[in-house]
Amino acid sequence: MTDIVQAKSLVKQYGSFRALDGVDLNIPTGAISGLIGPNGAGKTTTLKALIGLCDVEGELKVAGQDPRRSRHKLMEDVCFIADVGILPKWLKVYQLVDYVADVHPRFQRERAERFLSSTEIPRDKRIKELSKGMVTQLHLALVMAIDVRLLVLDEPTLGLDIIYRKEFYDRLLNEYYDGDCTIIISTHQVEEIETLLSHLLFINRGKVVMDAMMSDIAETFTEVIVDPAQLEVARGLNPIYTREMLGKQCFTFEAVPRSRLESLGECLTPSVADLFVAKMKESKREPQV
Amino acid sequence: MNPKFESIQFLALLRREVLEHRNLFIWAPAVLGLLIFVIDFLIVQGLDERTKIAFLEGLARFFGGGSPANMSPVFVFSTLPFLFILFMCATLYLTNSLYQDRRELSILFWQSMPVSNLKTVLSKVVAITVIAPVFYCAVIFALYVIAILWLIVSGLSYDIEVAGLGYMFLSAVLSVPVVYLFALTSALWLFPYMGWLLLFSAFAGRTPLLWAIGSLALILFLEGFLFDTQFLSNWIETRSDIDNFLIVEYGGLFARLFSYEMFIGLVVGGLLTTGAVFMRRFID
Repeated sequence: MTDIVQAKSLVKQYGSFRALDGVDLNIPTGAISGLIGPNGAGKTTTLKALIGLCDVEGELKVAGQDPRRSRHKLMEDVCFIADVGILPKWLKVYQLVDYVADVHPRFQRERAERFLSSTEIPRDKRIKELSKGMVTQLHLALVMAIDVRLLVLDEPTLGLDIIYRKEFYDRLLNEYYDGDCTIIISTHQVEEIETLLSHLLFINRGKVVMDAMMSDIAETFTEVIVDPAQLEVARGLNPIYTREMLGKQCFTFEAVPRSRLESLGECLTPSVADLFVAKMKESKREPQV
Repeated sequence: MNPKFESIQFLALLRREVLEHRNLFIWAPAVLGLLIFVIDFLIVQGLDERTKIAFLEGLARFFGGGSPANMSPVFVFSTLPFLFILFMCATLYLTNSLYQDRRELSILFWQSMPVSNLKTVLSKVVAITVIAPVFYCAVIFALYVIAILWLIVSGLSYDIEVAGLGYMFLSAVLSVPVVYLFALTSALWLFPYMGWLLLFSAFAGRTPLLWAIGSLALILFLEGFLFDTQFLSNWIETRSDIDNFLIVEYGGLFARLFSYEMFIGLVVGGLLTTGAVFMRRFID
């Protein structure tokens, strides 16, 4: 299957600050891809570049098109929810639904109405009168009524309480995702989406520091709670990250066969959160060019 | 996309403009119309009975004496307060139209729809050039209907011959299309001004009006300082001189519409508007 996103050497400079510093990434069609990175890592800039909202240097193809040349054509195949309440506050809910129905050729009003009827969003209220949770529900209802190839979510649940956050991802997975479309989610709340993801991208300081399928994580990365007697041997295998856990040393290894590690202690598959911390620490250690 | 969908999409963009700027498009002329009616009403009601009868008879005589078509320019001039408010609202609208959504970040939503920047900017130009005058003319028409009906009722209560007031009504009605065409022609005449405001609305990080005025002042200064000429300031002065575009009859309006000066203005305005489309491409 081809990759829906193909990016090579993306560079974006804001004055002296390099927001993207040669980003290479490929996102497979049908994946639920997590774009994870600390604040200022370049997540939002990357996502904006993918949908043509930000001019970048480098090679970029999204759904077979260059977003820099044909954003409006691309947006027939791509939907976007951003990290802030971006719906126009002066519009009433029904006016917003009318607008999307009139401008988007793939919008299915019945689907939107069905999603909305399962919420408590009043149709005749202005968006500025809705709670943040309701605004996110409304945006999700609009997006779920559009049959697209790629859905881009930039911190979509930021500032929402746990009930709205859980409902958001439940609906996304159960009522929207059908395996054909691709979803890219950027978030800080790694634990919340860990079980959804099939593809993982870590970004730091404008560079992709890890690009892996979730199915490959267990094969590539191993966390070992090292027996005290094996510490020197473990260090010799160049762990990418070490930490202390309940008085024991815990080493994370990349691309070291598990058969070689089993004799060092208890072997585990690291969680995405642990792996994220490990890769961020590793990228900090690497000299910056 | 088929032409039918393109039309529906463009109409949705125009509807968005009216909804977003209903204060400028609808409420501003409505409040002005109400204000004018209330002031006129209070003035006429404040007259003593003899003066009021003489006033009503004078009006009936004045408008009964000529053909409604010939008398309609009187009403065109009486709409100048509306046209002045339209000009002020248009300036405010154009300054904010590509800036406000960037400021409140709703641009991320608008840009996530399959609508080109060209179509978005065009919808704003059409909204203020073609659609806004429709609302202003509707208010003017409503004001005429209410005001002249009130005059007729007042006249009948004093047993005055009101046929002349009927002619007055016809003159008023016939003036409305002229007012609309005048507003449309003036907007096109001022297209370079519109394009300039749109350009800074699409570009400025804050206070686009200050950017627009400041940049123009700088260019005018540089022209004088570097080339010792005043070509641009002379062109702006000629173009903004009210005597040069205050035309209140069809013949003059059509002549202006198809004039060489109008063509030049459209080209300059078109270039500046293209600049606004280009600036809107990337929002960061």
